Amino acid sequence: MSENIKIVKNATCTFCGCVCDDMELTVDLDEKRIIKAKNACVLGRAWFAEHTIGDWPVAMIDGKEVSKEEAIEETAQTLVKAKFPIIYGLSDTTCEAQRQAVAISDIIRGTIDTTTSVCHGPSGLAFQGVGESTMSLGEVKNRADLVIYWGGNPAASHPRHFTRYTVTPKGMFIPNGRKDRTVVLVDIRKTPSAPVADLFIQVKPGKDFEVLWALRALVKGKNIDPSIEEETGVSLATLEDLVDKMKNCRYGVLFFGMGLTMTRGRHFNSGAIMALTTDLNEFTHFVTKPVRGHGNVTGADNVLSWQTGYPFGVNFNRGYPRFNPGEFTTVDTLSRGDADAAMFIASDPASNFPKVAIEHMKKIPVISLDTKQTETSNLAHVAFATSTYGINTGGTVYRMDDVPITMRSAFDSPYPDDEEILTAIKKRVQELVWAKQGIKIAVGEARVA
Amino acid sequence: MSLKLSLHTKPDVPLEADVICPDKLNGVNETAIAALTVFHGNDQTALGDFFTVKGQCDGEIQLEGDLANVKHLGSEMTIGKMIIEGDVGQHLGACMSGGEIVVEGNAHDWVAPEMTGGKITIKGNAGHLIGSAYRGSPIGMQGGEIIIHGDVKNETGNTMRGGLIAIGGNTGDFTGVNMLAGTIIVLGEMGIRNGASMKRGTIISMHHAPMIPTFSYVCTYNPTYLRMYLSYIRKLGMEVSDEQINGNYKRWIGDAIELNKGEILLYANE
Ligand code: SF4
Repeated sequence: MSENIKIVKNATCTFCGCVCDDMELTVDLDEKRIIKAKNACVLGRAWFAEHTIGDWPVAMIDGKEVSKEEAIEETAQTLVKAKFPIIYGLSDTTCEAQRQAVAISDIIRGTIDTTTSVCHGPSGLAFQGVGESTMSLGEVKNRADLVIYWGGNPAASHPRHFTRYTVTPKGMFIPNGRKDRTVVLVDIRKTPSAPVADLFIQVKPGKDFEVLWALRALVKGKNIDPSIEEETGVSLATLEDLVDKMKNCRYGVLFFGMGLTMTRGRHFNSGAIMALTTDLNEFTHFVTKPVRGHGNVTGADNVLSWQTGYPFGVNFNRGYPRFNPGEFTTVDTLSRGDADAAMFIASDPASNFPKVAIEHMKKIPVISLDTKQTETSNLAHVAFATSTYGINTGGTVYRMDDVPITMRSAFDSPYPDDEEILTAIKKRVQELVWAKQGIKIAVGEARVA
Repeated sequence: MSLKLSLHTKPDVPLEADVICPDKLNGVNETAIAALTVFHGNDQTALGDFFTVKGQCDGEIQLEGDLANVKHLGSEMTIGKMIIEGDVGQHLGACMSGGEIVVEGNAHDWVAPEMTGGKITIKGNAGHLIGSAYRGSPIGMQGGEIIIHGDVKNETGNTMRGGLIAIGGNTGDFTGVNMLAGTIIVLGEMGIRNGASMKRGTIISMHHAPMIPTFSYVCTYNPTYLRMYLSYIRKLGMEVSDEQINGNYKRWIGDAIELNKGEILLYANE
């Protein structure tokens, strides 16, 4: 360890949607890495430890090192030439960079989509269809006496969710912390989160919708046939007991995870949990919230909604935003072979998309912006290396409860940040589009971004 | 003489051609039709770049070629007839209120969303969300007929409030979800969670189907109106047997969470 040490107080971890902003980082400025992250959980510690400064070039075209400017020019030309360009990713970057990406897709009349479409996209659809009774995590900490987790395993995915916000902390109306709360976990198998719960309910795989629907009926005072146990694995008595708990709590919260949104039924599963929450508000205060994964995926939803009116899967082909999941979401535009150019920002679809989508990715020019080398950057035509948000770049991120949090950089990186690259691309595509429109569209009609 | 549009260049990215609709092409000459705007991805180009235009539209349009990537055909159609020889892309006959569309091949997702009248016949299969409401919209199909001889996928008739959807093959999950009124007849098998959240309306199937917990069995009977419906779709070329027309149906009602006035009728003599 060198002498050149810096302590950064109240730093922010952006690894998961908890976005803990109470980190105390010890930075070795000579080695340019974080040697200690006080208050972080295992995942957070790994996140801070693995983000050292790499030695790959800032920009590459077809695997050969080029200057940043050349790569920006090539990117802009590729995007403007394309007839169905798509932009995807965005969940692991700042809101400032996300904004630039939306502007680019508006200018090039492309399609913009975020990783939301492969995690909580169905919840986005359900928000629109059913509505969301929502809250901030601070409210949960101070008020919630009944906490239910459905289809998620926060002990493994969001380790500090329990301790920072929902289970153990003492709050204004929860003076004794854990003792004052009832915790229920509903899942298809016993996960490491189960020991935290007072009550664990095991549902047969793929039967969440039926259980939620039965709960809705019971809340509304309708009869449910005892054969529900045979179908879903949950007895009527258990359901009645849960309904009793839900109706009689002072402040209840339903958190749900991808176990619900990515299984058969998708947006109807999220819709069912939101509708159940609405029903319960006849009796007591009840709220619901998806437990979001990536650091700033909530920010991506917010920025897209704020700028286009829709949270993900937005298409600008006709010059105005249109929203249609299934038509404009990235897995679909790639699998059907619609896209003819793609820009992936802070995301690695080449490692987790269906095979046919990846096959199509290999046929079209791909531009990637990432902090490290990934399968996507390896197959990319143009690859930019950027600095890591929350470590080398400041900016804004949204916690999973839509609370914006401002981050500072812990130490500088020689790499530019996503916002800088995207702003330069935006400027260049605008020039190119204006030049193109000068021929095709009469002056005065040209849109100003 | 009818108008014939033959695809001579296959679009590389989706082509949005909502101008192809009898309302917009009636009486227009060949050159003017070829100059009409279509969207090839984000590129605003002319219809003639993709189609050979022949004849003049006197209410009927014939389309030839692989149109699987051509969307929005017959959007907002009110009169006339369109005959599509092959496959067709998404949003066929969106919001149409009259006229007729016949597809010899398969159709994609979103056939006739928010239709209020007219008729669509698809000889092959179709995708998700037939006769549905667009996302965020409170009402789907309100009138007219959608006849599909093959299979379809999920959410058939999502939030529909009127009209008839008849499916010759199987449907995916959530058939008639959020249904407000109207009729869906499925001659094949249905997936799971049919009629979830339905307020009124009728879903009929010739096979056993799993029921969600908020539906309850009422009786087995032989409703007269059903005979008329089934005889009608048999006349349209769907395979309905005499036993099915005269047979008994188990009546389930739901969704108890909503009004409990929707019904699912399942053929009892299977
Ligand atoms: S809970 Fe999430 S945000 Fe908090 S330290 Fe752990 S990984 Fe980072």
